[in-house]
Amino acid sequence: MKQSSWTYARRFSQSFCLAVFLWLFLQTEYRGIDQLPYPVSLLFRIDPLAALADFLAPGPFGWSLLWPALVVLLLTSLFGRFFCGWVCPLGATLDGLGKLVGRGRRAFSPGWRRVKYYLLIGLSAATLFGVQLLGLFDPLAIFLRSLTLAVYPAYNYGLNKVFDFFYANDLPLVSPVVKNSYPLFRDYLMAFHQPIFALGLFTFLIFLTIVLLERVEHRFWCKNLCPLGALLGLCSRYAILQRTPQRLCADCQACDSLCRAGAVRNAGLISSECLLCMDCTGYCPEERVSFGLRYAAAHDPGIDLQRRGVLTAVASGIMIAPAVRIGPVTYEQNPYLIRPPGAVAEEEFLQRCVRCAECMKVCIGRTLQPALLEAGPVGLWTPLVVPRIGYCEYNCTLCGQVCPTGALAPLKLAEKQKNVIGLAVIKKDRCLPFAKGVECLVCEEHCPTGEKAIVMEEQDVLVDGQLRRLKLPRVVDKLCIGCGICETKCPVEGASAVRVINQGESRRKRTELLAGPYG
Amino acid sequence: MMNQIDRRTFIRRTVQAAIAAAAGGLPALDLLSLPAQAAQAPPLAVRKGQDIPLLVRETISALGGIQNFVKPGEVVVVKPNIGWDRTVELAANTHPGVVKTLVQLCLEAGAKQVRIFDRTCNDERRCYTQSGIRSSMESIRSERVSLEYMDRRAYKELTIKGGQAFDRWEFYMPVIEADSLINVPIAKHHSISQLTLGMKNLMGVIGGNRGRLHHNIAESLSDIASVIHSDLTVVDATRILKANGPQGGRLQDVRVLDTLIASPDIVAADAYATTLFGLSPEQVPTVVAAARRGLGVMDLKQVRMV
Repeated sequence: MKQSSWTYARRFSQSFCLAVFLWLFLQTEYRGIDQLPYPVSLLFRIDPLAALADFLAPGPFGWSLLWPALVVLLLTSLFGRFFCGWVCPLGATLDGLGKLVGRGRRAFSPGWRRVKYYLLIGLSAATLFGVQLLGLFDPLAIFLRSLTLAVYPAYNYGLNKVFDFFYANDLPLVSPVVKNSYPLFRDYLMAFHQPIFALGLFTFLIFLTIVLLERVEHRFWCKNLCPLGALLGLCSRYAILQRTPQRLCADCQACDSLCRAGAVRNAGLISSECLLCMDCTGYCPEERVSFGLRYAAAHDPGIDLQRRGVLTAVASGIMIAPAVRIGPVTYEQNPYLIRPPGAVAEEEFLQRCVRCAECMKVCIGRTLQPALLEAGPVGLWTPLVVPRIGYCEYNCTLCGQVCPTGALAPLKLAEKQKNVIGLAVIKKDRCLPFAKGVECLVCEEHCPTGEKAIVMEEQDVLVDGQLRRLKLPRVVDKLCIGCGICETKCPVEGASAVRVINQGESRRKRTELLAGPYG
Repeated sequence: MMNQIDRRTFIRRTVQAAIAAAAGGLPALDLLSLPAQAAQAPPLAVRKGQDIPLLVRETISALGGIQNFVKPGEVVVVKPNIGWDRTVELAANTHPGVVKTLVQLCLEAGAKQVRIFDRTCNDERRCYTQSGIRSSMESIRSERVSLEYMDRRAYKELTIKGGQAFDRWEFYMPVIEADSLINVPIAKHHSISQLTLGMKNLMGVIGGNRGRLHHNIAESLSDIASVIHSDLTVVDATRILKANGPQGGRLQDVRVLDTLIASPDIVAADAYATTLFGLSPEQVPTVVAAARRGLGVMDLKQVRMV
């Protein structure tokens, strides 16, 4: 197939954008500077779906964070879905992997094109009524989530195994090369700590499904399912970047089978479907195709959404809210549902969080983990603090810096150190001094607050029928911020003898007791 | 009636007893206890001063100079406490100025390489930066100086001969394999071991679940110190942490003493450091256990002040 310079330009743009996003992804890590020097969550700041979620969430719109997304919408209304064809990293991945997995050429029923609109309409309706699930289907969130939770951990694991092998076995010629390249990888191309995530495989399977759908139809996801594509499609109806000729030519009809978006029809060009891949400028045997600035054609056939379908989508979306709300409030049911510092109140949090996994990527202590059902039926992939895996570093404010939607407020260090995310509770049936009568102070030793929130108090304890003078840990409630380092470092094997619960969080509305009974 | 034994039996039993006694006495020749033998009247230097480079140089030259501890061409490990994500003035980590001058002394003595590391409690990247150790090491601008993160592959489980709390533990091999180890703790309050000094600082070069050591901290630390021999211990008491240790976080818990203690005998150095906190060596169980096990001298009257 002949390719025009437009195709090469597009491929370059796709590769460039993908490289930029991957580079920003690698920079989403602490590298010795408290304030991240790059806008690492740029991908979501240009994401109109994230802007939509933010717009429909309570509270004012986050102009300062999300203005680039509005620029994307504006440009789309002028130039069409250039984002899908030229920028989107998931689209680029599908274009790139398509050759590998094999490309389907099946012409799918055009009815499938509507699904993405229904998805967008349904999700928006649900969001309007308080249940925000846009992030589950946001292609940019899917991309970054898969990268963060699955691909990157696997990549690190694999590389570490290779380096370990050559560390342990000295092979001539190969080992020196591998060993000498280790510092480069360790310092720039790998994670400092091996990332560990609970939902890695699950997240990857979804990504894999989207990739494998390429075998059914090229860009199946983008054409049929992507709600971001639908939103951009809606904006591009009157785009002024137009293709000539607008219809299938009577003598050729090559576009009918070659257009990857199926956008060229006898009735005219469907602007909202055209991904602006511009391949047609190359493969047209008569070299008739060109793109230029012109008013949109009056006869754009568009996608007939059908009133019945739209109403069903709206109704289904609205139904999600009551379906979710008739269950018990997970947040109150699960005391271990702990959110990162700076998280807004739980209900608003769920409406703002687009599940992009940026916070989990940047978390220095690896404490942030994606939720499956811990945060309720609509809390999938939202960030949880899981202190037995890692703790919240006292002097770190990175998660608030990367959150693109204000679900986590960007806290200053002094604010963060006062932000209560939970409360440590000592389990006396497991804690060594209480349960076994042996000395231990690891929780107190690690407690980071200047005036320690865990204090040791001497007391006589009955051990084996004899009184023994022991130091026993006690949590000072008003000093504990719930960072969880005590739970992480507790040397008791298995379940920790001190656990953080979500009591007393700063974000929770409550009446302050001036002098609580627990000090 | 007494049991009569004949002469032959008597001789045989006498010889057996002699052999048993000799065998029993053999541990005196054990390599591990050699430092204890050599540590009769160990030298101990204590100096005060506000100019840290000068203070370090004076203290070390009182011990006869760094060349007593570092020979040309050797690989030296300098082990400060970099355990916490705290700034210099909060006295949670060894003063970067002390470490820097010690490293420079090693370079001047002709060390082939000086390696600096610690297994930190907070994130190591944060600790190395926040403590000031990273910038002070970089400011030396020498390729022979290597500030490293612990390599998780370099830990190895070793048998602890005569271990009282543990018979095996994971140790960081670069420390074991180094030609010389300079142990540079900061003197701090600690709730269980009372103080954290040179012996406690060695916890930064072992692997495993370190929290388990606290159940029997005195014997555990002696076990560790019996495997890892510090050629020189320099206790940084330029400022000490009197409460809320070992990581502190409040300036009101810090006392500026402008003092440095150095000795080739880790127990003697720790024993002297206890006095800075108004304690005596007998009150700190780690020091007592280590002295009882022959790892050094805790009686300050038996120490040669230089």
